[in-house]
Amino acid sequence: MFIIPKLQLEDIFACAQCGYCVKKCPVYYFLGWESTSPRGKMFTLKEILGNNSRLDEQKIHKLGKPLSMRFFNCTFCGLCKEVCHVEVDLLEIWSKVREVLYELGIVPESIIKLSETVKQSKNIYMMDNTSRMDWVTYTGADVNFKDSAEVVYFVGCITSFSGRVQSIAQAVSSLLNYVNEDWTLLKDEWCCGHPLVLSGAIREARVLAFHNVEMIESTGAKRVVTGCPGCYLALKHEYPRLLGKKPKFEVLHSSQLLSTYITSGRLVVPKSDITLTYHDPCELGRISGIIREPRVVLQSVTDTFVEPEYFGRESICCGSGGLLKAVNPSLAESIAQRRYGMLASTNVEVIVSACPTCVQTLAQTATTMQNGKRVIDLSQLIAERIGLM
Amino acid sequence: MTTSDKFLSELINRLGQEYVSVDSLEKLVYAHDFAALPKFVKLLFNTTPDVIVRPKSTEHVTEIMKLANEYKIPVIPRGSATWGFGGTVPVKGGIILDLTGLNRIIHLDEKNGLLTVECGVVWEDVIRFLRKTCWELPTYPSSALSSTVGGWAATGGIGYGSLKYGPFVKNVVKVTAVLPDGRVIVVDDNSDPSLSQLFGSEGILCVFTELTLKMVPKNEAEMPFMANFSNFANALMAAQEVLRLTRPHSLVLRTFGFVRTKDYVESDAYFFGCFNDNRRDVYEQYLKLDSIVNRYRGYLVPEDEARREWEERFYTLRIKKWGPSILGNEFIIPVHKILDMVRYCWQLGNQAHLDVEVEVMFISKDEALMFPLFLCDERKPIRYLMSAAIAKKVLDVAIKVGGRPYGYGLWNFPFMEIAEPEKKRELERMKSTLDSQNLLNPGKTIGAEVMLGLPLPGKLYSTFMDGVWVLRKVI
Ligand SMILES: Cc1cc2nc3c(=O)[nH]c(=O)nc-3n(C[C@H](O)[C@H](O)[C@H](O)COP(=O)(O)OP(=O)(O)OC[C@H]3O[C@@H](n4cnc5c(N)ncnc54)[C@H](O)[C@@H]3O)c2cc1C
Repeated sequence: MFIIPKLQLEDIFACAQCGYCVKKCPVYYFLGWESTSPRGKMFTLKEILGNNSRLDEQKIHKLGKPLSMRFFNCTFCGLCKEVCHVEVDLLEIWSKVREVLYELGIVPESIIKLSETVKQSKNIYMMDNTSRMDWVTYTGADVNFKDSAEVVYFVGCITSFSGRVQSIAQAVSSLLNYVNEDWTLLKDEWCCGHPLVLSGAIREARVLAFHNVEMIESTGAKRVVTGCPGCYLALKHEYPRLLGKKPKFEVLHSSQLLSTYITSGRLVVPKSDITLTYHDPCELGRISGIIREPRVVLQSVTDTFVEPEYFGRESICCGSGGLLKAVNPSLAESIAQRRYGMLASTNVEVIVSACPTCVQTLAQTATTMQNGKRVIDLSQLIAERIGLM
Repeated sequence: MTTSDKFLSELINRLGQEYVSVDSLEKLVYAHDFAALPKFVKLLFNTTPDVIVRPKSTEHVTEIMKLANEYKIPVIPRGSATWGFGGTVPVKGGIILDLTGLNRIIHLDEKNGLLTVECGVVWEDVIRFLRKTCWELPTYPSSALSSTVGGWAATGGIGYGSLKYGPFVKNVVKVTAVLPDGRVIVVDDNSDPSLSQLFGSEGILCVFTELTLKMVPKNEAEMPFMANFSNFANALMAAQEVLRLTRPHSLVLRTFGFVRTKDYVESDAYFFGCFNDNRRDVYEQYLKLDSIVNRYRGYLVPEDEARREWEERFYTLRIKKWGPSILGNEFIIPVHKILDMVRYCWQLGNQAHLDVEVEVMFISKDEALMFPLFLCDERKPIRYLMSAAIAKKVLDVAIKVGGRPYGYGLWNFPFMEIAEPEKKRELERMKSTLDSQNLLNPGKTIGAEVMLGLPLPGKLYSTFMDGVWVLRKVI
């Protein structure tokens, strides 16, 4: 039996069933059945609550895998929470339910595989974690490993291992060098744990959080910068909850750092007439509230920056959040195509985002399209404009 | 093969597997609408559908209706299920016809401002689509972020903009509808049946599949307003004067937050709305509003605050989280009876120990749509059931003072005989002509049926609810 904390229980009943979340949900957009919508899931939860505010284990087992699929067919984009009539923290509820499902062992096969992988190899790719720094050799980046530094650059699994976006790590490093930042990489970075939190594997995530915090704090760094919104969420918001204490360092996303460099004059980017649009990553924009900073950076590059349909807090997911790519790749692909279409219809030259996963997904989609656009990360755009890449 | 198996396989054959579901989770979530059902309802009705279908075209709907006729299976049309009167709740199983897949914006006649859409289009999409044009919607419901165009045609059709441009029915020129026997007809003001006969028929006479809506040219200026008052009576008098002296797009009056019945004497209130016209007219109307608000000792809030309230206009149920459940009813009432009615709602709230909030949306100088909301807690089933009778109590009095229910569906059906007997006769006549097998949304609006098709007499239902109300005092 799992006791739902009081506030979440109130939330489940407070859900007005008004359906504002239904139409917004990128998953429902393609699946179309009520049970796949946030509203449908909230109603289902109400129905599987037994007496005394407990999720009824028996009912969960009875509904089994189909129930679990409803909660894992979700990008965790947070649009449902954004439009909620009664301001229910739906992301919190979805996390809690995944936790329960994981505890009960009713999760999709791919989730079990993923969490085993991360547990064993400390990264999401089942790679030898000592090869995490290989991107340095591949890209020829100029990187220091120091025992202590002001800033730690937390690269993240996707940027470290995925060839398509290793250029983001190269860009961030070159920019940190360019402004003479006293920075270092971690000697033994582990997965941030965000994929495990999304899997519901909280205990396992805690182990990773503990290790990473220990590693970062051992450098005496005051700030940690990451280019990955998932890592940012983990380091900034999930770690304090997982560890029960606030780590001693400040966490910044690379777009925030770049924006302070630019506004303080530390970084001067030559303006050009390149036309750009920007895709707000859900975890960066809507969920973490970092919407202004990437735009400050973009506006330093060009005056012809075009907002796409749905931006800022209203931005639509690229399909790769919430582990959907692992659980339901074809659905993730459809969502990516829809979002890519909106971005491409701005008729700009380059699509920019500030997340390795979004960039990877949208760039991949672009390759399947006729006249696919170039999709790059914000840090790469800046490094290129300055001539560092 | 049983009949239902045969029916299902034929349904899948004709439509395709991807449009049909018998999944048990799906059945669970399609068994209700916006309102939380008291548990006893499940004893009376079979609210679980047998199958859910998501048609993609008018032809699909026709196929489904024909098949339903062949196998004598009820069909329950469903938009976004945001109507709280039980219209989309099955009473004896059947087919849920989820119409949200019919969601294309078909054509905008730019010259004449006529927009043709499929019935499952959500209002917000229409509003978004029109942003790029020189037209706008005359009227839309406050549930515009989720409800469908077809759903509003089937129900009340009063919302923002109705004060200035009239109800939805006055802003539609033509619809395509599928009749219970599967025939497709195009309906306008001069056809038989006519638009006004089918509009508001709550899904018991036809399924609307396509609608052609009248647009209005975009106005030069739009000016939201909001005024606070220290008591409801003053706010109401001011609102009446605003109606007399200006031409607002919308005017909504509300009690402030919800009224704690325990310690409250007279609630604060506010109204908000919007002027839209040419710049000069808007300005002049705003000046008039200013002096009216002053006269009634109100306070006109700054423009940005008023704009924020206007932008929040779709979020009318924010307070639900304090319930966490709500009970209520909606009715149209003469404007001069609003104060009496509000006071009665407060009195009822007091008796039942439920906090109450009241919203009044003006439809004209003489009539308003009133929506009292009682906060309660469905997790206490006995108390919730007892309190549910409050919805009937409110309506009893509203009808006595010259009002009428804003919808009937499953919960208000006994009131049609009292409030609108002629309308009921007309609907009964049309129902027997168009749907002799009683397959389209049976057991709603003009009469209810419990399990096994047994009729539920309105009187019995009313007496039961009255009994529950009395019992509440005892318990
Ligand atoms: C926050 C909120 C605000 C609201 N504000 C308003 C308001 O301002 N004005 C107002 O009038 N209502 C309002 N409502 C009630 C409701 O949203 C409206 O009645 C809305 O038009 C219902 O649309 P729907 O798509 O949800 O229909 P549903 O709830 O799915 O269906 C309503 C009824 O219509 C039938 N039906 C649905 N689609 C069709 C169709 N295509 N053909 C035939 N029958 C059909 C169904 O069988 C059912 O009986 C509000 C509700 C909420 C939750």
